[in-house]
Amino acid sequence: MQNKSKKQIGKEIILTDKVTKSFGKFQALRGITSKIYEKEVVVIFGPSGSGKSTFIRTINRLEPHDSGQIIVDGIELNDDVKNLQHVRSNVGMVFQQFNLFPHLSVLRNITIAPQKVKGLKRADAEEIAMNLLQRVRIPEQANKFPSQLSGGQQQRLAIARALAMEPKIMLFDEPTSALDPEMIKEVLEVMTELAESGMTMICVTHEMGFAKEVADRFLFFDEGLIVEEGTWDQIFSNPKEERTKLFLSQIL
Amino acid sequence: MNNNNSIKWFFGTFFGSVFNSIVTILSALIFLFLINNIIGFISTSEWEVVTVNRRLLLIGRMPAEHEWRIWSILWITSFLIFSSINSWGSPSKRDLLFISFITLIICLIFTTSSTILYVVISLIICIVSYTVSYFIYKSSYQKYFQNSLKILWILLLPIIFALLLIGDGPSPNLWGGFLLNIILAFIAISFGFPIGIMLALGRASSLPVIKIICIIYIETIRGAPLVAWLLLAWFVLPKFLPTFWGLNEISVVIRAMIVLSAFTSAYTAEVIRGGLQSIPKGQIEAADSLNLNYRTKISLIILPQAIRVVIPALISTFIGVFKDTSLVFILALTDLLQVGRIIPEQDPEFFGKALEALCVVAFLFWTVSISLSNLSKKVEKSLGIGSR
Repeated sequence: MQNKSKKQIGKEIILTDKVTKSFGKFQALRGITSKIYEKEVVVIFGPSGSGKSTFIRTINRLEPHDSGQIIVDGIELNDDVKNLQHVRSNVGMVFQQFNLFPHLSVLRNITIAPQKVKGLKRADAEEIAMNLLQRVRIPEQANKFPSQLSGGQQQRLAIARALAMEPKIMLFDEPTSALDPEMIKEVLEVMTELAESGMTMICVTHEMGFAKEVADRFLFFDEGLIVEEGTWDQIFSNPKEERTKLFLSQIL
Repeated sequence: MNNNNSIKWFFGTFFGSVFNSIVTILSALIFLFLINNIIGFISTSEWEVVTVNRRLLLIGRMPAEHEWRIWSILWITSFLIFSSINSWGSPSKRDLLFISFITLIICLIFTTSSTILYVVISLIICIVSYTVSYFIYKSSYQKYFQNSLKILWILLLPIIFALLLIGDGPSPNLWGGFLLNIILAFIAISFGFPIGIMLALGRASSLPVIKIICIIYIETIRGAPLVAWLLLAWFVLPKFLPTFWGLNEISVVIRAMIVLSAFTSAYTAEVIRGGLQSIPKGQIEAADSLNLNYRTKISLIILPQAIRVVIPALISTFIGVFKDTSLVFILALTDLLQVGRIIPEQDPEFFGKALEALCVVAFLFWTVSISLSNLSKKVEKSLGIGSR
């Protein structure tokens, strides 16, 4: 694992087996089989419409999959609500459009889930929230509303909100795609710090500089399938598949 | 600006073209005609019809020995309203002027030599509660005070009913005049709003049975005019009610309350459904990804945003309901409008004074409607913080 050798990769935490999903006639996923390990940072990339977002949204069942099997932290995702709740409490998600709650203050955005789901006391939840705001470097914004923050600050708040539930896995669905260029860096810094702290992360992103720095493994998606996977050197210096070569020639 | 310029501006604006000239002359004529009629009416009007029948207009045929009930309700309500003014952020000068204007006019209508003491007490309550609450809001007891006010507002309806009914209160059929309109509207909104929310959620539900029941209810109620439903309550409702506890002989006032609440709930449901549809899907996904349960998701994430969007439409529904309460004359109840119509018709002393009576009726309706619409502006503003 080239330059990441210092990090200890743990046992497998997400298993997907022949996962499919279609929207009407459009088949978004055609059988995704993969393993993701504890503390691993996986970057998913590929052309638009290749099923990247759909795939990570099946992992916390925002999109229920049609067939196949998804096992997260030893629990299979199916119609069982108990299983679903268990998985969702272990999986945090950050969206492209932030999806903050605009009617709640910055602090309340973070405390609502710990208070309502975990039953924490307000003071405890607020202490956690302030620590997280410190961590994403916006503690001074605690009493503002999301609309008063810049895009980059909003996305960092979204990260803090997801972290407040102390998830084992974080999913990032194109977290910087809706941001102005000068704000991308501050979000990536927070994500880098998170990766270095040993969080299991799956990121759909086009930020290849960031990906090269933090990712342990890359999955190249095209037309609902994993076409190729491997480390930066394996995929970017030495791609085996024609489609990978074609896509890389377009983006690099 | 000198004189020459203003004359130029005047002719340029009002007589700039042939069309403008015609419009100017026509509107001037209409305006003069209206002014003439209004002056004619005011110079010949006699307001005795209102001053003599003040009681009937305000509380209907409720016997005099029960008047204390109304006064105490008025005092409690004024205390609540005037203590709450400061909770919507500090009111502007314009708001305060408006509130004082409405209060004074209402006092003017209420005041006679026999009631002046009560009116003065009401005014003192208004002023004292406003001033005291103003200082409490600046002190550290603010949160505590605000919460007690919220509880009192919720308790207001039971308190009003207790005051109207305890200790051998007058039969509900004797409630009348403005009091009846306000009670009916208050009930219709207090029940119609929460039921409407549940109907809207039911209509958006993924369970087909609940969804279909809600759709049938909403479309049936909205499909027929309120008058038809009131007639139905008059003739048919007793036959549908069980016979025990004398439920089938239920008072017409209660029937009116049931019909108006049902009607309000159907309209409110559709307004709120509009708000629910305006919530981006991402909000639900975010709530799901945080593992919030259905109740938290609805009550803390979706509804607060949905209702904020539809506040103007919601208040306009409520104003409509308030004015629709005058249709209860169909159930032989004498509401404000009915009193205003009956007096000039039946009392030979006031024959031909219908316009004066109706003017006061219209004014009373207007004060409530305009207050509601001002309230809506305030609520919108205070919820507007942090809107996108």
